[in-house]
Amino acid sequence: MKKLIFPAFALMVLAQWIVPVKMMLDSEAVLTDGELYKFKTQPIDPSDPFRGKYVVLHFDVEQVETDTLRQFSEGQEVYARLATNTNGFVKIAALLAEKPEILDNTFLKTTVRYAWFVDGKQRINLNLPFNRFYVEESKAPVAEQAYWDAQQDTLQTTYALVRVRKGQAIIENVMINDRPILEIVQEMNEKEAQK
Amino acid sequence: MLIFSVLFPDQPEACMSKHVLNELDALLEAGVITEVEAGRIRQYYAQKLPPESNKLVIVFGILGSLLVGMGLVLIIAHNWDTLPKPAKLGIGLFPLFIAQAACGYLLWKKSTSVAWREGVSVFLMFAIATAIAIVSQVYNMDGTLANFLFYWMLLTLPVIYVMRSSAVSLLFWAGITWYACDDGYVHFYHAIPYKYWLLALAAMPWYISLCRRDESTFTYFHNWIIAISLIITVGTFASQTEELILPAYVLLFGIFILVGQLPVFARHRLVADAYLVLGSLGLVSLLLTLSFRWYWAEISQKDSAGWLNSPEGVLCIVLLLAAIGLYLLLLRHKKFTQLLSKSYVIPIFSVLFFIGLNAPHTAQILINIFVLLLAVYTIREGAKVDHLGRMNYGLLIFALLIICRFFDTNLSFVIRGLLFVLVGLGFFALNYRMIRKRKEQQNV
Repeated sequence: MKKLIFPAFALMVLAQWIVPVKMMLDSEAVLTDGELYKFKTQPIDPSDPFRGKYVVLHFDVEQVETDTLRQFSEGQEVYARLATNTNGFVKIAALLAEKPEILDNTFLKTTVRYAWFVDGKQRINLNLPFNRFYVEESKAPVAEQAYWDAQQDTLQTTYALVRVRKGQAIIENVMINDRPILEIVQEMNEKEAQK
Repeated sequence: MLIFSVLFPDQPEACMSKHVLNELDALLEAGVITEVEAGRIRQYYAQKLPPESNKLVIVFGILGSLLVGMGLVLIIAHNWDTLPKPAKLGIGLFPLFIAQAACGYLLWKKSTSVAWREGVSVFLMFAIATAIAIVSQVYNMDGTLANFLFYWMLLTLPVIYVMRSSAVSLLFWAGITWYACDDGYVHFYHAIPYKYWLLALAAMPWYISLCRRDESTFTYFHNWIIAISLIITVGTFASQTEELILPAYVLLFGIFILVGQLPVFARHRLVADAYLVLGSLGLVSLLLTLSFRWYWAEISQKDSAGWLNSPEGVLCIVLLLAAIGLYLLLLRHKKFTQLLSKSYVIPIFSVLFFIGLNAPHTAQILINIFVLLLAVYTIREGAKVDHLGRMNYGLLIFALLIICRFFDTNLSFVIRGLLFVLVGLGFFALNYRMIRKRKEQQNV
């Protein structure tokens, strides 16, 4: 039994590194090789006991209308084929229940939050796998305010830059009128300090 | 010292030794023992009991690591967005490296220090949390709290066995319970957290070995946390056939009563036997709830055809099988008549449940009679072993049953009043009798 303790310890150490390192490598692969999409958003500001403050993002493309057939159920894993509309923002061109044969960078793996029927057609609300943008705790309320102001103002556009690679996605940044939100927050804080 | 006395209450053995040591001078003066014998007694206890300072070091070692670990998690949660990505990742992953190195060193040195082993293991547990948190934060990864807790606990599991850490095992049980709550009660989909049961099963061998090895405070804490964890998580099964959740809890509390009487737990003081305490309190509250009409009226109106295929149905069957196994195990050590009265709840309730499906009124009356008998038996058991607390507990069950019946019977106020007066007099009379009996025995 005592002879086993060191191999067991080595295995434990290995497992404890594999998880964070794999998470890092997968994310880096998405960031370097992934296709860049713009997702239009709406925010709120909660917090996670372990990972701190973040801005929750809800996206325009979360709502999808499918054909008349009942295809999808709550919690189901689906593949969304992404395309870009005339304004340069992402739209969902198709929703697949099965994994596509060629999983290229136009596909996003996600889940159905809920599904319901309107006029015989199924409407789906998707739970996109990148709805958190972590912000330094002191900046979180300001970021949220900046976001809400931008949402109220119809002339401003808010969106998230998301890299998608073979179904996996990582948020690269959150933008207000093509400027990173943290840059705007920085500017707001400096103005506040000058007053 | 307060924390110390709460975490490590004196063991019966320790209480006894203190008592004996305090009495030594008086015994010497009275000439009952000689100076040599007194010396030998002191030497015996000095060798037998670990010094209290050791326990203090263990407690403060664990508390220190816990605070440092949680502090690190909070510092990481600040989200230092002025730092570049590699620096953030480096800082977040560094505690994992340090904690693993410290664990490796202790194993290599074959350290026997419980304080170091427990302290470093708890620190490693939190370093794992920090590592996962920093990566998911830097890459803005999605993922529910339940998901985070699951991976954290999965990676923590080997720490219990490799480092032989009971403190980590305790925190692990708390962690998987939190995971089950978040997944089963809080999360949008309210999924049944089956993975909780796998993790719990994987942590069981350590708990069993702890129970077999000694009667340490760690074992007592495990008894409580595991019992509470199971009570919380059984409710997550409520999904399709919620009518079966109440029977599932009756079975669970019935199992607790049986587990609490196993030889390994029966020698514990009552406060350490969490299964017996929680099982008894849970059963009494549930049986009192079932003494009302609403539950029986509800189940008799529902179609019970598909109940056994539902998750709640499967849970009830598994619990019933576990109860049968425990009965067989217990009956190897005790006679059926030697078991506590609440041990009979499972077979009796099972019969009543099936009666209730077709005859709700009969089942309700029988449950009331059963609770009444339970109260009488508890009073008798208390009187038999000269335990004032247990006897009064029986009286309390009796009083509660009467209070419950006040809500749904049409008895006149005079009769209700008389019943209360009778129960009150019963309290006085029985307590007075037992205290007088004790005094007489002392005088003899």
